[in-house]
Amino acid sequence: MNQLAERVAARDVASVFVYTYEAHPGEHYPHLTSMEQKYRHAADLRDRLGVTRPILLDALDGACHRAYGSMPNMTWIFARSGIPIYKSDWTDAHSVANAIDYFLDVSERRRNRERLAPFRVERLDYRNQDRVAFYQGLERSGPKAVDEFRAEFPE
Amino acid sequence: MTDDELLRRYNYDAFVKANWQPWMQFDASPPLGAAAPDFPLWPLAGGTTTLSAVWSAHTYTIVEFGSFT
Repeated sequence: MNQLAERVAARDVASVFVYTYEAHPGEHYPHLTSMEQKYRHAADLRDRLGVTRPILLDALDGACHRAYGSMPNMTWIFARSGIPIYKSDWTDAHSVANAIDYFLDVSERRRNRERLAPFRVERLDYRNQDRVAFYQGLERSGPKAVDEFRAEFPE
Repeated sequence: MTDDELLRRYNYDAFVKANWQPWMQFDASPPLGAAAPDFPLWPLAGGTTTLSAVWSAHTYTIVEFGSFT
């Protein structure tokens, strides 16, 4: 997602990360109880996981996150008007890239005076399931996070 | 639900179905193509902003929601 953000930034596409709740709280990154703690976790997202996009913290009660469906790692794309034009219940850089490239092409077509009307489309996108990387992420949170996930989703 | 209860339930302390499943509300999220709700947000770099201030500053804005865990 960082690479995608850098690729499209020059075409007036902003990319931000909204910090929500801890989906897999563990010994090292327990559930959130204060904004101060949320700032610390968000700083580690930047410094340890290398998120280079601007990080914006949601309120501690997740008001923004909850209003948008409160999925643990979802992505939305907004037009300047505030109209959401893409939403996915899981973040996948290929899917987001496919979408933003399409919308940038729409902008180009409008500049070329094509008359365009929106319509709705639904489709399923597909992402890689990298279990090794996923469990490495859980381990960063702590053994508790690993054990709880294994208990919920036994292999 | 009281504010304290909301805070506790949203920021659950264990990944068990009774805790995480109630928040899987993507199907009830705002529809595409209609004005979306706005909220205050706090940049890690400091200060305060809003989601609308972010999306109104660029042709398109990609917003990823997530956390360290």
